[in-house]
Amino acid sequence: MAAYHVVLVHFPMALWMTAALAILIRAFSSSALALSIDRALTPLLFLGFLSGAAAFAVGLMVWPWEAVSSSPLGRNHALLAAWTLAYWTLMMITRWLHGEAVWHGLMRFVMAGLALIGAGLLGITGTLGGHLIGVYTDVSEVLRRLGWEVYRTFYLPDTTLIALAAATVLLLAIGWWGRKSQAA
Amino acid sequence: MNRETGLLAATGIFGAALALSWFTQGTGVVRDDPAKQIAIPKQLTAPLQVKAAYNGSDIFFRYRWPSPNPGIFHDVLKFEGGKWVVRGSAVPGSQPDGLHEDRVSMMVDDGSVPDFGRYGGYVTVGRRLAGFTDEVSGKEVAAHPYLGGKLKLDEPTKYLPSTRKSLENWADLAPEDEQKALRAAGYFLDLWHWRANRSNPIGLADDQHVAEGRLSDSGKSPYATNWDGGKQQPRFMFDSAKAGRAALRWEDIIAGKIGQDDTYFLRVDQAKPFDPNAGWIEGDTLPRRSLAMSDGSRGDIKVAGKSRWDNGFWDVTLQRKMDTGNPTDDKIFRDRGVYQAAFAIHRQATGGRWHMVTLPVSLGLGRQAELEAVRFNGETPNWEQPWRTVTLFYPGQVNWALLNSTKHAGAAQVKAGVPVKHRHSEAQLANYGIEVEFNYAIRRQWLFTMFGGVLLIAAFGIALNMLSSRKRSA
Repeated sequence: MAAYHVVLVHFPMALWMTAALAILIRAFSSSALALSIDRALTPLLFLGFLSGAAAFAVGLMVWPWEAVSSSPLGRNHALLAAWTLAYWTLMMITRWLHGEAVWHGLMRFVMAGLALIGAGLLGITGTLGGHLIGVYTDVSEVLRRLGWEVYRTFYLPDTTLIALAAATVLLLAIGWWGRKSQAA
Repeated sequence: MNRETGLLAATGIFGAALALSWFTQGTGVVRDDPAKQIAIPKQLTAPLQVKAAYNGSDIFFRYRWPSPNPGIFHDVLKFEGGKWVVRGSAVPGSQPDGLHEDRVSMMVDDGSVPDFGRYGGYVTVGRRLAGFTDEVSGKEVAAHPYLGGKLKLDEPTKYLPSTRKSLENWADLAPEDEQKALRAAGYFLDLWHWRANRSNPIGLADDQHVAEGRLSDSGKSPYATNWDGGKQQPRFMFDSAKAGRAALRWEDIIAGKIGQDDTYFLRVDQAKPFDPNAGWIEGDTLPRRSLAMSDGSRGDIKVAGKSRWDNGFWDVTLQRKMDTGNPTDDKIFRDRGVYQAAFAIHRQATGGRWHMVTLPVSLGLGRQAELEAVRFNGETPNWEQPWRTVTLFYPGQVNWALLNSTKHAGAAQVKAGVPVKHRHSEAQLANYGIEVEFNYAIRRQWLFTMFGGVLLIAAFGIALNMLSSRKRSA
């Protein structure tokens, strides 16, 4: 399945990277070109989601789960791939539900920031995949200098996991409050 | 609070959670745990410089490696509270009193162990070896009819895979006639083992080999235990007429006041039988090993010149007959031959598995190879050729059975014979070695991290969508 995974990953990478560029252009411009690009954004994100989900599923079949979950690079690639898929799914749903409203007010800058984070996640996921087949870039050296040795598993200590759980609850509470105030 | 403030707050919380994750990742699991035989070295890689030369009758290897101090002591007997007690026994990691000798070792093959040339020392590491968290006890090994009974092993040592019926079981040995046939076919690794305390003072390196276990070549050992169990006292003390003193002082040893040029070792020809009435005082200390020249195959490897530690580096040269006449425990070197070698060092008072190792390199005698032995005329090489630098790394508790199992993503490549250096760097292997020591704990945290991150992203998405005004358009 490795060869199929390698073929498949090129689709979400191209689609999501293009989507990130489209978001950045639209976030900072309301020109005719930016508006035209924005019209393609939801289809781009949707195709990215489909191909990303397919690549993720096939990727899980490349090695036995026991091997992936025992290898630091395998773990890191799986973790970043899961986060990237979740993240760009969030972007797709947001753009789909809110349409052009995402380019109003503060939200456009939030979208621009999220696009940059999404491109970063995608780039790291791709770099880790390259490591697994022995072909990689200097992105891993940049990550190393920023504090993460990619040959060590990215995992969080219990205290940070608790903080993440608290942040999750807080975000849901803020969302609930937003819905309530919108209804009022 | 309006919705824009809510949006800012949600974005801030999400960003803060990501930042917190970045700065705390990789912490909370990896820590020393002597009860589980875990001690992680601070430095995971180091350079080793090597040169080789031969003159048709002898072959020379010169090694140079960094060591913060000369580890010239091994375990000792200290007079304490009216009796002699052992100090400096092996512990996980560095011995706290600094009492474990520095060493350099080299495993060599002539192609008879093909996996060695591709995977180096990994092929010798079976499950549950000495120093592993789940190590087999010395008693179990000693009770084994072949390993303990015949080979007299008393700890689970390195061994070659084909000496066992299964990679999984250290005790399931191939039949004895099969062992003999394997040995006759050259299925063993030659092991050169220079010890700063137990061999260097008498100008030797210990000549050993790896086959059914890590075994000593035939002949007399260069060291013996300086202890009389019946009398509960040392066997030997220094002969003050020859050594200048009857004993060392503990405080001098610990303070590093005894150097390479002092008498820090107990040679039997400089010693005399222990006298319990010699007026011993608290802190008197004797080496726990007595040294005497080896004989037979075990004494084949000599120190050429003087092995010295200077300015943070050891410089050791070893010399051996190219053909020792012992082809079943030594690899015979021939002009224009190509061999495989892997190196290891112990430093900073470490023993057992707390060494640093290299991946295998090819060794050519007058042939192109990663390490080329240069032919010379005369008795001693001039060492004009440049050093070959190889990278030493901490190997952790990775074993050969694991590398061939479904837990290793590269198991298929191992079975296909893809050399380790084709896929892994030494730094990578060092990090993997540490991860293996904490595999279950790290896997658990990783799974929580993965799902925690997905939930955080989902929660942020929900917040974002609930805080934004909905306005459908194309």
